[in-house]
Amino acid sequence: MMALFSSPHLHGGNHSQRLMLLVLAAAVPGLVAQIYWFGFGTLLNVIWAITLGLALEASVLLMRKRPLGFFLKDGSVIVTGLLLALALPPMAPWWLVSVATLFAVVFAKHLYGGLGNNPFNPAMAGYAICLIAFPTSMTLWTSSGEYFNLPDQWLWFWTEQGNVDAITQATPLDAMKHLQGNTIKEMLAANPTIVNYADAMFWINLAYLAGGLGLMLLKVFTWHAPVAMLSSLSIMAFLFGTGEPDLYAGPSEHLLLGATMLGAFFIITDPVSSATSRSGKLVFGVGIGVLIYIIRTWGAYPDAVAFAVLLMNLCAPLIDQYTKPKAYGQQH
Amino acid sequence: MKTLFDFPGGVHPPQHKQQSNPGKLMDLPLPQRLLIPLSQHIGAPAKPLVKVGDQVYKGQLIALATGAISANVHATSSGLVSAIASFPVAHASGLDAMCIELETDGQDTWHPDITTANPGQLDEQEIRQRVLAAGIVGMGGAGFPSAAKLATDTPIHTLLVNGVECEPYITADDTVMQIYSHEIILGTKLALGLLKQSTCKLVIEDNKPQAIAAMLQASAGHDDIEVIVIPTKYPSGGEKQLIQNVTGQQVPRGKIPANLGILCQNVATMKAIYDAVYLGQPSIERIITVTGDGVKQAGNYRLRIGTCADYVLQQCQAEQPNSQVIIGGPMMGFQLPNTHVPLIKTSNCLLVPSAKALSDASPAMACIRCGQCEIACPAQLLPQQLYWLAKSDAFDKIEQYNLMDCIECGACAYVCPSQIPLVQHYRYAKGMLRQKATEARQAELSKQRFEAREQRLLDEVTAKEERRKTRAAAAAAAQAAKRASNTEQADPVKAAQARLAAKQKTPAHDTAHQATLANNSATNEVSHKDLKTAAAIARTKFKKANKAYEDAKAADHEDTDKLQTMVHDLQQRSEQTAQALAEFESQVQVDPEAEKQAQITWAKANAQVRKLNKSAPDSSTPDDEKAAHKEALQVAQKNLEQAQAKLDHIKNSSKEAQS
Repeated sequence: MMALFSSPHLHGGNHSQRLMLLVLAAAVPGLVAQIYWFGFGTLLNVIWAITLGLALEASVLLMRKRPLGFFLKDGSVIVTGLLLALALPPMAPWWLVSVATLFAVVFAKHLYGGLGNNPFNPAMAGYAICLIAFPTSMTLWTSSGEYFNLPDQWLWFWTEQGNVDAITQATPLDAMKHLQGNTIKEMLAANPTIVNYADAMFWINLAYLAGGLGLMLLKVFTWHAPVAMLSSLSIMAFLFGTGEPDLYAGPSEHLLLGATMLGAFFIITDPVSSATSRSGKLVFGVGIGVLIYIIRTWGAYPDAVAFAVLLMNLCAPLIDQYTKPKAYGQQH
Repeated sequence: MKTLFDFPGGVHPPQHKQQSNPGKLMDLPLPQRLLIPLSQHIGAPAKPLVKVGDQVYKGQLIALATGAISANVHATSSGLVSAIASFPVAHASGLDAMCIELETDGQDTWHPDITTANPGQLDEQEIRQRVLAAGIVGMGGAGFPSAAKLATDTPIHTLLVNGVECEPYITADDTVMQIYSHEIILGTKLALGLLKQSTCKLVIEDNKPQAIAAMLQASAGHDDIEVIVIPTKYPSGGEKQLIQNVTGQQVPRGKIPANLGILCQNVATMKAIYDAVYLGQPSIERIITVTGDGVKQAGNYRLRIGTCADYVLQQCQAEQPNSQVIIGGPMMGFQLPNTHVPLIKTSNCLLVPSAKALSDASPAMACIRCGQCEIACPAQLLPQQLYWLAKSDAFDKIEQYNLMDCIECGACAYVCPSQIPLVQHYRYAKGMLRQKATEARQAELSKQRFEAREQRLLDEVTAKEERRKTRAAAAAAAQAAKRASNTEQADPVKAAQARLAAKQKTPAHDTAHQATLANNSATNEVSHKDLKTAAAIARTKFKKANKAYEDAKAADHEDTDKLQTMVHDLQQRSEQTAQALAEFESQVQVDPEAEKQAQITWAKANAQVRKLNKSAPDSSTPDDEKAAHKEALQVAQKNLEQAQAKLDHIKNSSKEAQS
């Protein structure tokens, strides 16, 4: 392909759509694992979030008098919808998904000028709004292996009818947060379902890790942010967990529970809202890892990826300012 | 193999090198028209030595270098100079430039002075002279005059001969190396001889095995020439990247390679040096790659400098000979504004893309700051940030992000998933920065000029003030001296009285008093006017005092005696002044009415004379009228004389009275 008006006249053939498609493809193993362990809720979430997301994107584009086809086909809203839906609990009802999607697409993305201009990760912004506004609904995680069949899930999704208490339970991170005087071991011994749940999260995280490594190998993003985040989270967990293993979860728990891997490879690698230089991404990743540990351990919320990401999104311009690489000829 | 140091970034675009059949050199028939620009190099344009209608030989000097950084221009075939004028040239801006147009005669006759030489018998100065005279410029694209480059004062330890040719599609240097390997080595030896304490590294990308083999073979036995093979990666042929790759050093910002003891020259330039010194031939031809999907006869052609692009395209059967042609490589070349332009010493490629390839280009999408450009950038910049800053005209900030270190290689735009024409944005911002720098310089100059002017005006005003003060001081001093010398206060009344007294007395009566009087009259101009003023003042003062006294009496003030005395004194003084005035007037017999009357009479007489003079008769006037006029004039003149005499008399007597 050749473009004439300004050099270079050659193009490598890389496209934003390709990047978006690769991200979507890399998330499929995690999605399948999540459905396998936690039921069809996640599938409905994904379908509804993407559908609504596209509709919202189209209407905002119309309102902003932008060409529909050109912008819709960049695929960014599909990625946003998918990541948001993967982060939401499997038993989220339609309105919860809708509120999250609306906030992500309209408020976090388009009010700031659309793709490329949003300071915050749209999916995490939508997620965080729901976490603050509807905390109870945001904890509706099914116990591993026990979930509605598809028709029941469909009914629940739209009408919230069904015996949800029988199938939902506290997440391991939640349980570890509320030890009520027990050690982690005692808590686990008392709640065998938590152990099952932790196994499920372990596999799901591994699925996201696999997808994420694939994206890294395909050079969709560099290693800097994910490695920095996982390292800093591990170091924090190691430092505190080694001292008091009874009260603080260790590195493996932190790495393989909750949304750690989804966050590390699919959320913080969103280039628009992260720090931009490679050294900046290191700082960005370290900050997120530390914040995740702090919020998980001492904060009011069981998981912390969304808040940590949003807080570091705020810092990204500052990080960019101080992580300019030295240009050629300035090393002397 | 030697250790290489690599350089950051870079891209691996598809090479398309075989398309132009590297190693096979072809000739095109000599064109009927050659258009030779006066500026094919960095520096001042050459000055034409021929005029329209001149017959020139091939290799004849037709334009002379002007200044240290400039290059001679030669006729590239024999023929007739048909024009010396502005023509469109191969420049991205589409601007015209001065060219010498030749109509070739087909004989292609060499200039008789062109002779071969044995460099062994030439001294260094003669070799330099031959390189200088041949008008050789850097043939890799920059076009820096080679003689100037080789005349560097800085000691050079490494001569880097650049045979990298990292741009896709182009195989001109590849072909030069395959065909002229020995000439390149001999030219390099000459350059090394000029640089003295230097060894040569001849660098080739590993995608040119035949060129590498040819150069290895030709350089065998030359210990001071080392052939270095580097991995294929764009833009490894860029001067800065080449130096970093081979030596591990970076050219410090604002410096040139010579500061590191390194000098870079293109392989084709080395061949041109050989031609100039051994054969005596100036730079009149070069090898150019004509390639691309839009051209049928792709290949490497030996072309005379000044051959027009449209002629070449037509000969090579290009799909669209008149449009959409890129000069230079696909990464850094530019689209020719039109194809009726000459190819020059620095033109290395004509690239004709197919119509299909052109239609595949897609519009730019939003930047998502993915950072692919940052990974590709060989100058270690943040192209994504530069883009946002250029887009928002944040020129101060973009300078902090080192925009000026961008070499415009295009690697960033090549990898951009949003197809943003990044380099275009950088060129725009660079242009604006340069413009701002110029404006700032001009503003600074204007400011200096303005301040100098303000200072000058201020100085003038101060000097003027100084002079005024000096003058005032001098005047004050003079007045003071005058006052000091004048012991008696000038009182017009006393003076007049004294004078009257003196007049009434006999001169011998009181000689001492008379002396004082004489002194008085000399220094104090007591005039009629002064007396009048003194009388008026005395009268007013008396009236005021008298009124005050009346008022005080009416109000039964106790202390009226003093006032009464004062009023009395003032009354006396008023009477004295009035008397003095009257005496003075009677004495000098100045009757203001009489003087006025005399003046009126004089004015009337004068007007009459002037009127008569004005209406003086000319030759057409009858004699009797002339006589009448003459008589009237005589009468009027007599009247005027009388009036004048009377007025003079009055004035004189008044003056006498005053003195």
